[in-house]
Amino acid sequence: MGNPRVVLARRTLGSLRSEKTIVLALVIQLFIAGFSSFLVVGLVSLYDPGTANGDALTVSVGVTGNASSDVAATIADDDSRSVVPYPSQAAASAAFQRGDVQALVHATRQPGGRILAAATAPEGSFRTTLVVTELKGALSTLERERRADLDHRLERTPVDLPPDERSNPYFSFTYTVLLPLLAFLPAFISGSVMADSMAEELERDTLSLLRVAPLSLPEIVDGKAIALVGLAPAQVALWLLLLWLNGTHIANPLALLALVAGVAAVLVATGAALALRVGARREAQLLYSFVALAVFGVASLLPQSPQNLIARLAVDSPTTLTWGLLGVALTVAAASYTGLRWLAGGAET
Amino acid sequence: MISVQRLEKRYGGVTAVDGVSFDVGAGEVFGLVGPNGAGKTSTLKMLCGLVEPSAGDITVNGFDAGDTAMRRTLGFLPEESPLYDEMTPRSYLRFFADLYDVDRATANERIEAALDRLDLDARDRPVGDFSKGMTRKVAIARSLVNDPDVLVYDEPASGLDPLTTNTVIEFTRELAADGKTIVFSAHDLHHVESVCDRVAIMRDGQFAATGTLADIRDEHGEVSYRVFTDVDVDDARPSNGRYVTTVDSMADVDAIRAAAADAGGGVVDIRTDESTLEDVFLDVTGA
Amino acid sequence: MKAGNVLRIARWETTRSATSLDRETAIAFVVVAVALAAIVPAVVTTGPTPGEGIYRIGVDDDSPYADVAASDPQLAAVQPGSDADVTVSPVGIQYADTAKGRAALSTLRSATVAYNDAVMADEPDQAAAFPVVVSLTYRPQSIDVTSAQADTDGAGSSTTGGDGGRTDTPSTDDGATGTSPTAGASGGGLSGLLGQAQSGTPSSISPPFPLQSLVFAFAFLLPLNIVIQAYGSSVLAERIDRRGEPLLVAPVSRGDIVAGKTLPYFAGAIALVSVIAAATGAGVLAVLAVAPLAALFLAATFLGAMFARSYKELTFVTVAVSVALTTYAFVPAVFAEVNQIAAISPLTVVVDSITDSGVSTGQFVLSTAPPGLAAFVLFGLGTGVYREEDMFTQLPIPSKLLDALAAPLATPRRAGVWTALFLPFVLVAELFAVALLFVAPVSLSIPVLLGAIAVIEEVAKSIHVFAAFERGQYRRSFRTALAVGAASGVGFFVAEKALLVTQLVGLPGLDIGRAAFAPALRGASPGLLLVAPLVWHVVTAAISAVGAARSRLAYVGALAAAIGVHLAYNIAVVVIALG
Repeated sequence: MGNPRVVLARRTLGSLRSEKTIVLALVIQLFIAGFSSFLVVGLVSLYDPGTANGDALTVSVGVTGNASSDVAATIADDDSRSVVPYPSQAAASAAFQRGDVQALVHATRQPGGRILAAATAPEGSFRTTLVVTELKGALSTLERERRADLDHRLERTPVDLPPDERSNPYFSFTYTVLLPLLAFLPAFISGSVMADSMAEELERDTLSLLRVAPLSLPEIVDGKAIALVGLAPAQVALWLLLLWLNGTHIANPLALLALVAGVAAVLVATGAALALRVGARREAQLLYSFVALAVFGVASLLPQSPQNLIARLAVDSPTTLTWGLLGVALTVAAASYTGLRWLAGGAET
Repeated sequence: MISVQRLEKRYGGVTAVDGVSFDVGAGEVFGLVGPNGAGKTSTLKMLCGLVEPSAGDITVNGFDAGDTAMRRTLGFLPEESPLYDEMTPRSYLRFFADLYDVDRATANERIEAALDRLDLDARDRPVGDFSKGMTRKVAIARSLVNDPDVLVYDEPASGLDPLTTNTVIEFTRELAADGKTIVFSAHDLHHVESVCDRVAIMRDGQFAATGTLADIRDEHGEVSYRVFTDVDVDDARPSNGRYVTTVDSMADVDAIRAAAADAGGGVVDIRTDESTLEDVFLDVTGA
Repeated sequence: MKAGNVLRIARWETTRSATSLDRETAIAFVVVAVALAAIVPAVVTTGPTPGEGIYRIGVDDDSPYADVAASDPQLAAVQPGSDADVTVSPVGIQYADTAKGRAALSTLRSATVAYNDAVMADEPDQAAAFPVVVSLTYRPQSIDVTSAQADTDGAGSSTTGGDGGRTDTPSTDDGATGTSPTAGASGGGLSGLLGQAQSGTPSSISPPFPLQSLVFAFAFLLPLNIVIQAYGSSVLAERIDRRGEPLLVAPVSRGDIVAGKTLPYFAGAIALVSVIAAATGAGVLAVLAVAPLAALFLAATFLGAMFARSYKELTFVTVAVSVALTTYAFVPAVFAEVNQIAAISPLTVVVDSITDSGVSTGQFVLSTAPPGLAAFVLFGLGTGVYREEDMFTQLPIPSKLLDALAAPLATPRRAGVWTALFLPFVLVAELFAVALLFVAPVSLSIPVLLGAIAVIEEVAKSIHVFAAFERGQYRRSFRTALAVGAASGVGFFVAEKALLVTQLVGLPGLDIGRAAFAPALRGASPGLLLVAPLVWHVVTAAISAVGAARSRLAYVGALAAAIGVHLAYNIAVVVIALG
């Protein structure tokens, strides 16, 4: 009860709550997550509107040229494409102009057996991406078939393609981008708030009031840090819960939260140390942003970057190295925190 | 020099200043006294144009309060004197001199003179390391960089040690002697008594009393008489083998004289007590 | 505002910042900057893959799929039988029937395609290895009969797009015949992503994906985010312990102080942006386009720093500003090469400037005027509370916001002026709503958009009126409410008429854009067309003003009613206009 650190930690949390900044922090994280998800959903739907809307659009392709039969066969191969043959390029072009077809392919067979496909897609329309994706799919199929036909002329045979099973296009994004973002953002914000909090106490000279109370500087740092380091995994736990409710399976949640707490400890220690050394908020905050960037930059040079660690743990593909690096991260966290306490102890005398 | 008519200030539902009027002549030192929250600071801030009045008129030096031309002729010392910690007194004062369009040579001359008179030696150290008294001196020097005609000082000596307080009060008196018009607030009456020509006592946003100190004492002060007798009379207290009764009119004194005579004694001494400014202050502000 | 005073304060702000850096901090900055400069190229060259090894492929070492798995960093080869997501056996390929298993299979499939292409590149008979060669060109289609363009050019020739004068380079069909098409895939790579003509094998063809603009968005916005950190601190520092008070008594106007304090940061931001523009090959136009955005970043931060009670709060305010404005600039720019909606983002001008596509005046104005005007208004609001009474008080942010909104409303007529000044925000918000909704099907997007517009416009017409009644600027009477409401409605109408810039860029060419900005009544008389919106704006503004004059609760109710009326009107107009 009487532990001054707990009292101080409670006060730090209390001020976050009373200023409603914690609500703002959560809103910001939600906004960033929503924004990046929107981006991906938007982009994926550009390539493949069927995944976003449920009803696939059909791209009709006007086909001309002496190899049009080969091309037409592969284009018609898929339900999402239809073929309209035209006798001449001029007729096809006119049809394209009118909007009767969304794409043109003029296919000609070359002497060496090669097929030349001159494709035309609509410019600056929001269907362009879809049209090109469909053309690419059809022509790739044609390429595979032609390769099989010309097998006798090849030294090595192409590897057979694995079956084409419909998979969630956002799967990889969720684990490798969205989740790391949601995991590291709270840690980064915690460090930033720590720097603010220390700089503010120094600038307003309220730190001396705390120190008049029977509290040493390391204890003051402890009190604030307990609150802020603890807050990061708490927020991430909330995001994990939301993702889980949304049907996203998250493996190794405890290891994930431990990693987040470790990263938060490193960043909070950095923020506090900079604020103590620099004193002024503007400089401390700027320096903190740069140092945090550098820390992430260096860490991403590791054999498994922090982002990758989160992804591997959450998707349940950790290797021995993953666990080893988690251990390293926690050790570094403990070391930086000890370093901070030593710095605070030194600053006191 | 300064004319204030029916000045009012309301913050939301709270009335801080409630219909205050006064004039201050050129070269006069006018003091505002009153307890915390009486409306002194609000009045001073409206005088310098920092705060917009809710009602009423202010003219300073012939200009409306807040007018840029008026600001050039005015020096303001706020109650707190926070400075930019990373600046030195010289760089800080030069910046303000620059804002007031004072040319470099004149500015340097004024800055050095003011710092000399205020006895501040650390002129090239960041003010972040300064004591409260030293920052106060820098703030006072700032109020003088434009050689203003009118000075508005809010509690210039509050929270300073006695020595620095003396320096500041002495300096204010010198400024008054230089012919500056000064409006000055304080809750310490000694400062007011030693510097001001006229004072106003504020209470709940209004002037409870104004005038010279003598006027106020005459009007609100009370005279009491201590009557010493050699015999015990009604209400008397024993004192050093004599008896003393405190009354506040000459009729009462006569009554005691008669009562003492009846008891076979007489009045041996009468002393007159005038109330101090503190007494008047406590009386007027209802504290 | 006097230039001399502004420059004095700007110079002071600069020297103060420079001298406030003690040697230790300065060294720390240099060290960190050097470290970053060393780390960035290292990160770029190693190119860490966040998804490295997330899919486990169970495969024997002698299987050809072992090489496939080794070729894609996302795939990790493991011994078959262990907990693999996909197992390759002589019988065939099995996969776990989970989301992860299917994702692993799909990744293996695309990795196989890439692997095959790499293997085929070594074949001596390239005509058999790459039996199909594609050349892709883009041509405008004129589907819209009302704006039919006479385009009689032959296939593949140079044509001009309807949206702003982009010119395609003519591409010849025989561009890739002789030599190996994989090696010589002309116009592939970045230009392909930017939607330009390309040729090569089918797999080398990339659909236009504006990845570039995402990178540029970050490159151009990052310095702004750093500058606002320092700027916000500087503004808030003036408010701590009343430090800024003496400055308020000096013979300079509030505008001088604010402009002077802002100028160095604005200049710094522009300098940084110019460096980035030079590095990425963007022109002066790109810098000009980002300038209003930089001003908006600073303006929003300024207002935030005027409201924040502590550095902690300021941090959240600046992060919120960064996120919101980055999104505004970013989301539409994603579609830079694909859709006209991109025209609302200044970053589109940047992308166009880098790709040397022309930018029409209309486009430039549309992308820069709203943020520029919004910055102007935010600075106006912030300067309004840059005074003793508001700067040094510790009120919660909503209460300060009401103060700021109420401060300029001295007369009922001012309500109309400020409604007009809010129009850039209305425009920004509506454009953003359009950008968010345009991918959705029209049956969903148009009703949602109409609702969003009704909310945005009614709030813009009444929020400051509410603030003014709350802060006692107006007498709470029915008559005053009507006068103020009418002024606000008229202000909105006048400003909206001035907003014909959207017409200049063909945004109404988009169905959803037309619903938002040009709901013209077909077949109605011109007089009715002019008077109807005026009456309708005045009526809805008056409804919410009457509520605002009564109480907070009444305001919420009246605002809801005004939104309802607005929505009903909008739906009626759109139904008539779109048929």
